[in-house]
Amino acid sequence: MQRSMLQGVIVNLVTWTLVLLIAFPLLWMIITSVKPQTELFRIPPTWFPETITFEHYWRLLTETPFLTYFRNSVVLATTTTIFVVALGTLGAYSLVRFKYRGRETLAMLVLFTYLLPSVVLIIPLYLMMVAIGLSNTLVSLILAHTTFALPYALWLLRSFMEGVPEDLESAALVDGASRMGAFRDIILPQLLPGIISTALFTFILSWNEYLYALVLVNSDSVAPLTTGVMSMLISAFNIEWSLLMAASVMMSLPLIVVFAFLQSYLTSGFGAGGVKG
Amino acid sequence: MIATQTITPRLERSYARLGVLLIAPTILVFSLVIVYPLLAAIYLSVFSIYTPTLEGNFVGAANYVKLLTGKAFWNSLGVTLIWTVGTLTLQIVFGVGMALLLHQNIWFRSLARSLVLFPYFLSTVVAVLVWRWLFNDLYGAMNHGLMQLGILDMPLDWLGSMPNAMIGVILVGAWKYFPFVVIAVLARLQTIPEHLYEAAKIDGAGPIARFWDVTLPQLRNVLVVIVLLRAIWDFKEFDLIYLLTGGGPVTSTQTLSLLVYQEAFGLNQMGQAAAYSVGMMLVMLVFMVVYIRKTGKEG
Repeated sequence: MQRSMLQGVIVNLVTWTLVLLIAFPLLWMIITSVKPQTELFRIPPTWFPETITFEHYWRLLTETPFLTYFRNSVVLATTTTIFVVALGTLGAYSLVRFKYRGRETLAMLVLFTYLLPSVVLIIPLYLMMVAIGLSNTLVSLILAHTTFALPYALWLLRSFMEGVPEDLESAALVDGASRMGAFRDIILPQLLPGIISTALFTFILSWNEYLYALVLVNSDSVAPLTTGVMSMLISAFNIEWSLLMAASVMMSLPLIVVFAFLQSYLTSGFGAGGVKG
Repeated sequence: MIATQTITPRLERSYARLGVLLIAPTILVFSLVIVYPLLAAIYLSVFSIYTPTLEGNFVGAANYVKLLTGKAFWNSLGVTLIWTVGTLTLQIVFGVGMALLLHQNIWFRSLARSLVLFPYFLSTVVAVLVWRWLFNDLYGAMNHGLMQLGILDMPLDWLGSMPNAMIGVILVGAWKYFPFVVIAVLARLQTIPEHLYEAAKIDGAGPIARFWDVTLPQLRNVLVVIVLLRAIWDFKEFDLIYLLTGGGPVTSTQTLSLLVYQEAFGLNQMGQAAAYSVGMMLVMLVFMVVYIRKTGKEG
């Protein structure tokens, strides 16, 4: 008994040391963001800030285009998510609950595109956006984000749809409901957790995407957070790390909110995402 | 499928039509933003196109001849393999280890899990900014932390010289992506029946023997899928490496994704870049086919 308790304490200490090491970069990001400029360039660095200031956050919001980037990212990620989840839900319903020729091939194609590298598509997409006059707009980014978000959402929703029992739908059909009626009244409510999970994943993917924004958009007024914040690093004469760390914290806010309140949806998405082995 | 006995051929046909109608918007978007660009990439790869003017002419197989005979593609393929194998190994080892620890009954387990999970969902841009600040040669916490612990005597140049740059990129990649392994393994661990462990205990197996004889065989299938999926994703990684080192110093961390980008938008040779991207896809196709057959069979 004594021995196993000691073992438990050791496991706890080892685990928590590792967890804190893993979380340290995030902690350091927050600590740096509230340090005054003078304390930042101390050698060796102060591990705990001596004074706490929010001046960097204030400057970020008032003196940089951060809020524009933030707004662009919100519009981009929200629109992509709604578009992709709407298409994906109907598509997944069709792939799982209907029989027609080419269905299996289509499912395989979805999986294939889900693994495709973005750099293969980026060159033709760039030419396409230039040709139809959409380059340097948020619309071009929404379309580009569809290339990875739609296969992802379809694949996720497909496995969630497979988890919805069939007999309820059959019963509704026997009672005289139409397929779409049954879809609305029976399937959608049961699929809702899966839809939320997929929407969160899609939103995060789109929120974090960098390459397409780098190639397709080059002005501040339409840049999302990823390229916008990076341009603050590159254009600065001397890099203001505390400002960048404040930007990083602000940029992670939606994520922190999702983590605090909706984490179970994120972990359930993992099981569905093709790693059930 | 649905109430099979009562379905008439007419109803079945109308259901099939509805099914096609429901998937039609998806197919349309797929064709427009994925299939067409994919075919266009292959088409572009036999042209020589100057990016700023987008003017070009047909060059046949010249881009592929350069791919095969030049050094750039093979050099980048080598870099990509080093990066993939390095970061994937760390991800799997730390991921499985951490999952085993988090599976134990530890204090504040859900908080520990959240903290471990977080880097995976973090934007690569944020991850890179934080790590570049940590790696900073003058004021970085990494150098001073390691010096205070007595591991380093002198500050290291983490991202500007080799092999440090490759090690740095591999480390950050492992930090960012190992939570994927943790979650997937943790989910599987929870489904291993307890009686297998009890039987092993009765047979006198210690914790280490139980890991090799019970846990690992049970994890085998999920690990194969994780390795394949992560190998594919690591192989094509762009953001993390581009933002950390930009492929440097010189081209020592320039993976295939970065080579394609550099050729298209740095050297302005779109046709050649398209040929590189097709070459890259062919290499990946091996893993993709294995993965698709694996999941297709189970699904």
